[in-house]
Amino acid sequence: MLFPMRVLLSQVRIVDPQHLTVSAPCDILIVNGYIERIADRIDDETAEKVSIPNAHVSPGWVDLFADFGDPGFERKEDLTSGCAAAAAGGFTEVCLVPNTAPVVQSKAELDYLLHKSRHLPVTIRPLGAISKDLEGKALAELYDLHVHGAVAFSDGWQPVQSAGLLLKALEYVRAFDGLIMQLPDHQSLSAHGLMHEGIHSVRLGMPGIPAISELIQVQRDTELARYAASRIHFTGISTREALQVIARAKEEGLQVSCSVTPYHLALTDACLESYDTNLKVMPPLRSQEDVDALKQAIQQGLIDAFATHHRPQDMESKQVEFEYAAPGIIGLETCFGIINRELAAVELTQKIAMLTTKPRSLLGLPAVEISVGKEANLTIFDPDKEWIFEEKLIRSKSHHTPFIGQQLRGFVYGILTKNQLILHHSSPQ
Amino acid sequence: MSLSVKHLLGIRDLTAEDIEIIFQTADQFKEVLNRPIKKVPTLRDTTVVNLFFENSTRTRISFELAEKRLSADVVNFSAGVSSVKKGETLIDTVHNILAMKVDMVVMRHSASGAPHFLARHIPASVINAGDGINEHPTQALLDAYSIRERLGQVKGVRVAIIGDIMHSRVALSNIYCLKKLGAEVMVAGPPTLIPKYIEEALDVRVCYHVKDALAWCDVANVLRIQLERQNRPLFSSLREYNLYYGIKRSWIDALQKPIVIMHPGPINRGVELDSEVADSPQSIILQQVENGVAIRMAVLYLLAGKKESFS
Repeated sequence: MLFPMRVLLSQVRIVDPQHLTVSAPCDILIVNGYIERIADRIDDETAEKVSIPNAHVSPGWVDLFADFGDPGFERKEDLTSGCAAAAAGGFTEVCLVPNTAPVVQSKAELDYLLHKSRHLPVTIRPLGAISKDLEGKALAELYDLHVHGAVAFSDGWQPVQSAGLLLKALEYVRAFDGLIMQLPDHQSLSAHGLMHEGIHSVRLGMPGIPAISELIQVQRDTELARYAASRIHFTGISTREALQVIARAKEEGLQVSCSVTPYHLALTDACLESYDTNLKVMPPLRSQEDVDALKQAIQQGLIDAFATHHRPQDMESKQVEFEYAAPGIIGLETCFGIINRELAAVELTQKIAMLTTKPRSLLGLPAVEISVGKEANLTIFDPDKEWIFEEKLIRSKSHHTPFIGQQLRGFVYGILTKNQLILHHSSPQ
Repeated sequence: MSLSVKHLLGIRDLTAEDIEIIFQTADQFKEVLNRPIKKVPTLRDTTVVNLFFENSTRTRISFELAEKRLSADVVNFSAGVSSVKKGETLIDTVHNILAMKVDMVVMRHSASGAPHFLARHIPASVINAGDGINEHPTQALLDAYSIRERLGQVKGVRVAIIGDIMHSRVALSNIYCLKKLGAEVMVAGPPTLIPKYIEEALDVRVCYHVKDALAWCDVANVLRIQLERQNRPLFSSLREYNLYYGIKRSWIDALQKPIVIMHPGPINRGVELDSEVADSPQSIILQQVENGVAIRMAVLYLLAGKKESFS
């Protein structure tokens, strides 16, 4: 819908992730997409009034790693459905992996994404490919991609295996302070694996993906980043061993950062007893000890951000034998409800910082402030509301998620960005 | 007497009581199999399809014989998984067959968990005839039944499972079955063929020296080296495997005790088992085959009794 010219957010608490504060309830008047006034009470009869109990407002949330399948896999998701899912999940900006067809490796693909999404209610932040055709052999045109809107570089679901190529990429992007993102998986160690290697893979008779396949890649790529004096981000960190390497690297002052998915905080390899293909994800679900270590690392501030790894699949890719099923589940719409439920001990402001200031800082995007005169880029939510995630609520084209029917904590009412207000008019009980 | 399950997907899901019920039923069918007329009318109105997405000779024949001796109508379907993958999905294949009014499905499939997936989506009873590297429950039942027959009981017996534990659904099902019946279990073989977390996961002993395993055990269940599953170099050569892990007559003779030799077949003679051992009086390999039919008759019979109406 088109944004009415004036919106009044009534009695909202402003969550400020930069100063880690939550304000007393106040009114915010937004006119033509810009914040006009913030005051205890604002009377404006002409504005559309948004009045929600216990409403909180924060800078709009950013997802570092999602897949909208557009172009090439529009059966699974497209920019319109993906942005609807993002908006429902509270995200105003979403980084998209380059694993499309064609691959996002030149300004033509960037132009398509940016042009096609310009009227959609969410800002698309494309990740450019590191290697041509994601083959891990030759560098894509990283500089040109940077100039034309790629916010970082990654081969997405197909992490770079060659140390030589990754080193060149890390060195090359220094010219413009680019960020390399890797989903850490050393495939010569994880090949043939279907789930986390551990007692459950033995009991279920499934080939394992050992934790060491993540560890080796994180160790190796950290050393490459050290050598290149460049920046690397590990997305979807899932093992305690890899966390230890990242902790050491940060202590040493290396430019290493990492993010975690919501599902790695909520599910373990023990859940796979049913061979449910909605539990086939990448990296795989790990052990309870790993989940505990991830939560502890978040409390300690070691993990920089959340990444949904939203990866929609169609029924044909999921309603098959586990071995043949495609990995990935949708994640944008459940992200906050899961992390907020799983991280009850973590301050709300810290969780919001991991969705806002921290990912923006990694991507080199300016911080979003909620103050008079600034462009409105907001997420509206209730952090305390408990709700059941029902299938009928799903906006994504894909319905493949193991969280249907679960009680989540923290409900997103909508977003306000790009001069558009997207609101859920009904909230689940 | 009835089982606690509607399908036989794995020994993992069975209770010790279930296994005992299957054994007692198999005792009765074994008696039938030794009569001049080996056929009973028990499953006269039941149609069973044998769906083999992976090559099999003896398991398929064993199931087919069991079905025919129970007077079931039998349909056989064999296909390479690749051809199925290209065209129809597993669910479509099975729905098409079930549309022709089939009551039970016996399935072998190269993917672990495939029968669990199938059982969630179709109304018929599913019997797992081997799925990937997960389970081969009827093989484990007939193995334990054969130990019970030879030694009088399974409880307290020391069983060494020797060979490619990593890629063996026979090993996993055997471990579940033997542990539920109170046996002690050791797995032995090259470290690359033994899953890293198996001791903790399944409460078994691990040994990398076959001679030590033989000295420890009452029963040695020797597994086939699954050459077709060797998509990675997990040991150097068949020659070296035979030299250090293949069971030789001299090793058996050197033991100060009799042990029982088992093998699920087909044997790679001269690789995991020398012919002199396979054909020795200590070997119960052919009794295993004979018991396989009785065990499968028992499973078919018991699950047919649990069959739900879906007309």
